[in-house]
Amino acid sequence: MIDKAIFALPGIKRILGLLAAFAVLQAFAVLGQAWSLSTAVTNLWLGDTVADQALLVAVFFACFVGRQGVLYVQSGMLDRYAYEQANALRQALLGKVFTTNARLVQTHGTGSVTAAVLEGADQVETYFKLILPKITGIALIPTILLVAAFALDWVSGLIMFVAFPFIILYMVIMGHTAKEKASRQHRTFEIMSNHFIDTLRGIDTLKLFGMSKRYGKSIYEVSERFREATMRTLKVANLSSLVLDTFATLSVAAVAFMLGFRLIDGSVTLFPALALLVIAPEYFRPIREFAADYHASLDGKNALASIRALVDAPDDPPDELPLPVWNESAHLALVGVGFSYPEFKALEGVSLAAEGFQKIGIIGASGSGKSTLVNLLGGFASPDEGSVSIDGVQTGGFRQDAWQSQVVYIPQDPYIFHATLRDNIVFYRPDATDAEVARAVEVVGLDELMSELPKGLDTRIGEGARALSGGQAQRIALARAFLDRGRKVLLFDEPTAHLDIETEMELKERMLPLMEGRLVFFATHRLHWMHDMDSIVCMEDGRVAEQGTLAELRASGGAFAHLAAQLEGGAR
Amino acid sequence: MSRNAARQADRWVMPFFKRYWKALALALFLGVATFGFASGLMVTSGFLISAAAEMPGSILMVHLPTLFVRIFGIGKPILQYLERLTSHDWVLRMTSSLRLKLYETLEGDAVFFRRSHRTGDILGLLAEDIGHLQNLYLRAVFPTVVAWLVYALAVIAVGLFSPWFALAFALVLGVEVFLVPLVSMLANRARVERRKAMKNELYGELTDNVLGASDWIFARRGAEYLSRHQAAEQAMRDENARLDRFARRRDLASTAVFGIAAACLLVWAGGYFGGAPGGASNWIAAFVLGFFPLIDAFAPLPAAATEGCVYRDSVRRLNELPQAAEQSEPAPDVEAPLAIAIDHVAFSYPGSARVVLDDVSLTIPQGQKVAVLGRSGSGKSTLASLIRGDLAPTSGSVTLNGVPASRFGDDMAKHIGVIQQQTYLFNMTLRENLRIGNPAATDDEVWEVLAHVGLADLARRLPEGLDTLVDEAGMRFSGGERHRIALARVLLQDTPVILLDEPTVGLDPVTERALLDTFVENAQGKTLIMITHHLQGVSAMDRVVFVENGKLEMEGAPAELERTSERYRRLLAFDRGIAAG
Repeated sequence: MIDKAIFALPGIKRILGLLAAFAVLQAFAVLGQAWSLSTAVTNLWLGDTVADQALLVAVFFACFVGRQGVLYVQSGMLDRYAYEQANALRQALLGKVFTTNARLVQTHGTGSVTAAVLEGADQVETYFKLILPKITGIALIPTILLVAAFALDWVSGLIMFVAFPFIILYMVIMGHTAKEKASRQHRTFEIMSNHFIDTLRGIDTLKLFGMSKRYGKSIYEVSERFREATMRTLKVANLSSLVLDTFATLSVAAVAFMLGFRLIDGSVTLFPALALLVIAPEYFRPIREFAADYHASLDGKNALASIRALVDAPDDPPDELPLPVWNESAHLALVGVGFSYPEFKALEGVSLAAEGFQKIGIIGASGSGKSTLVNLLGGFASPDEGSVSIDGVQTGGFRQDAWQSQVVYIPQDPYIFHATLRDNIVFYRPDATDAEVARAVEVVGLDELMSELPKGLDTRIGEGARALSGGQAQRIALARAFLDRGRKVLLFDEPTAHLDIETEMELKERMLPLMEGRLVFFATHRLHWMHDMDSIVCMEDGRVAEQGTLAELRASGGAFAHLAAQLEGGAR
Repeated sequence: MSRNAARQADRWVMPFFKRYWKALALALFLGVATFGFASGLMVTSGFLISAAAEMPGSILMVHLPTLFVRIFGIGKPILQYLERLTSHDWVLRMTSSLRLKLYETLEGDAVFFRRSHRTGDILGLLAEDIGHLQNLYLRAVFPTVVAWLVYALAVIAVGLFSPWFALAFALVLGVEVFLVPLVSMLANRARVERRKAMKNELYGELTDNVLGASDWIFARRGAEYLSRHQAAEQAMRDENARLDRFARRRDLASTAVFGIAAACLLVWAGGYFGGAPGGASNWIAAFVLGFFPLIDAFAPLPAAATEGCVYRDSVRRLNELPQAAEQSEPAPDVEAPLAIAIDHVAFSYPGSARVVLDDVSLTIPQGQKVAVLGRSGSGKSTLASLIRGDLAPTSGSVTLNGVPASRFGDDMAKHIGVIQQQTYLFNMTLRENLRIGNPAATDDEVWEVLAHVGLADLARRLPEGLDTLVDEAGMRFSGGERHRIALARVLLQDTPVILLDEPTVGLDPVTERALLDTFVENAQGKTLIMITHHLQGVSAMDRVVFVENGKLEMEGAPAELERTSERYRRLLAFDRGIAAG
């Protein structure tokens, strides 16, 4: 219920101190209400006139509204504080996703991350708002009211005092069970959130298999399972508030009962009895509210825990080694580099060297490790073994800030943002001029697409707006690369695989000039590119099978010649 | 839209209330009874001690009040417990149905779904609209109706003693029950709607950018996106802070109203029952104390009214969604062999002047293997959609055994299996992903198909074999492997016609050729339509068709074309690689 992380929040001591003061004020306001109301009723009961009670009624009203006034100030303070704290968490999480740990999204799912940033942080904010005043209120208010109760009538005070530990004990027992249930429910909720977005994303696939209707049923079933899980939690969680309520109402009833007896024999008078009847429900109110909000707080606590888990996931920030800007005479070398995915070893003992503005073709069958090699070169992952040196600087890999800022990476499936065509093109160079953009559009052959778009460059594209073909997405990625001339390293991962053969022919002519004056790594299985490479790395089963110029490799009759024969045969 | 029309168009609220009205009525009854008992406990307690203070000499004199103190004291928590369970169950049942309805609404247009909706928005719609509907039933509609009923009963109870005071009491409380909620709603409506729009926007935006997060990192613009997000977040926070401030002030005002109501009750009860010690005066404490538990019934009203605005907005948007299309006619019954006939077909997308296909005719008998070649945007994919019946031709006809393709609806999946350009893998186990086309497939069949598509070794290497969960967006598998999974799905689906929509994109030629051989082997006796943009595998086809600018350009058997067409020979040479230089 109360996460210990709360006590580590910045400025929490001051907040708790103020909250304690507010709690004391509230308790005294309750006592004022009880006193004025009971005195007035007693006087009326004794036959006094209503007019004589004016002052008491005024005092009652002042206390009644005054208490809300305290709450007014308190919640204003808490709103601000809770937002600041929740927002700090949100920023930390986003900071991770967008700067230091992109893998977080892949391992946890887009749905989970967005839900954590938006819904989760909101839940945490609510949690702080709910829980902080309770930390102080639950102890202070009942204590003050109990002292007053003892002063008014020690028997009633005793009943109230005895009931309290029972309630706490019961809550501890019930809370334990409810906690397990609630954390299970939280997992169900996350699974459901992912399940729904996953189903929506694949809805066209489902439709093509004639399964979309059936999956509607699955959505309903998952939702119903969620309902059942929630109801099971609620039955237990509410059971505790049922018992709690019973304790509290029965205690009030018992106080009334005992007072009734002792009024009859004259050992108590009406005033203290009435005052106790006003005080008793207020005495139990904090703990009942605590129980009533238990569920919401648990949600918040769980949300806090899952956000913290995301935020505290080990950071994998790029290294900050000082690397020179890649130039004509720069050189890099990989020595004995290996990389394993959890399931299998993707690269082993890879050694290769590159210098200046060389164009290096990486060729191999699928699964030969060429994509993994490009991933390492781009710094998306770091090698498990071996060493890398860039211009003489020894590093563990290419996850270097100074390296990544020089690289343009063109993958198989470039992501197209839901934004205008222009924004997508200038993604790496937001300051590009119109002339530069126009040139890029021309170079990569996007002019045809542009002329079809209603607002040209300012048309929104990407998912949901205007769907692009694989070829068009690829051209946008090329345009991004074209614009950012400052990046001297180009990494291609099968960039033309999606393009039709005639477009590929066309695009090739336009792409080759882009490669001049840059270090290029070009992973492909299209042989015709090899004519334009200065050096060719032939991959086989995660190893470099051969490296050399096209002429050398053709002459050697090794792995490359073998692969080429297979590839050429492929067109037949 | 007129009120009447709005009511008629409502497909998301009243139908669901009606469907679950019994549970709703029960929950409302329990809700009102809970407050009745809570108030009753204080009324009888107040009366009991007042009567006892008269020192009646025997406890028997106060027998009746003590009995009621017990009944109310024990009954109230039980009623409240039952009320909570009933109302939550009611709401969650409705939520399941609402989710299903939303899915069904979107499902009708599923194939072209991505064009008309952003995933983020749908997620937003779901998380916000359905989720909010759920909260609003619980936090707005339900408490409001309960409060109105409690209000009516309280006024009637006072009216039994004094109609005039009942009127005054009704007016004072009416401020809290009707006026404050109304003011709240009017003052906040715009803000609440703005905040909600912002949140939806933020959701869509965030989903989009989280999906493209690696680009932000690589472009070294992560910090820029963060500050942009923070600015949007701050704008929403400002709106929230205004709403919170309003709520605080309103709560203070509400408390003043309750204070006035309590004071009035005290003054009235004092005047009405007072004047002499004891006797009727016992009712003073009863009335005054009995009022306080009722505050809990009225207090949530203004907040509920504010939330009601969100609810209205959500309902409007849901009602604006197109109605889920019902399958009007039973799917036509056709049996293999299937002859596909495309007869003088022209096609333009609605609202677009561009003619995508123009006077295309083609017949494909059962068992023929046809390659449809063309550049991207040439109309070859549209041709595929027409054959599958997802689109209907603007003029001309596309038929399967004489039945228009567009009439088959979902049943088309029995006749034509499709392998798309991008294979979507669900975040489920590999087995479940494979069996999408045929959930009844046994493990043996799955393994057999995996062997056919060359994935058996990989599947065996996975940590949990067929039970391995594929990662989000199928990142665990390479492009080539995903295509093979798609092929396995279609082979399990076992349809007479297989439509390959640029299926081998991204595979290296060696694997691709092996895979295409597998297609051809496995498609014995089946019609194979391969939409493609290069020449790989074309030689194994019976026929090649070139689509260019919406028209059929070249057509013939591959060997024949190589003999007769200069253009075909040139493309072939380029495709082949280093030999072509």
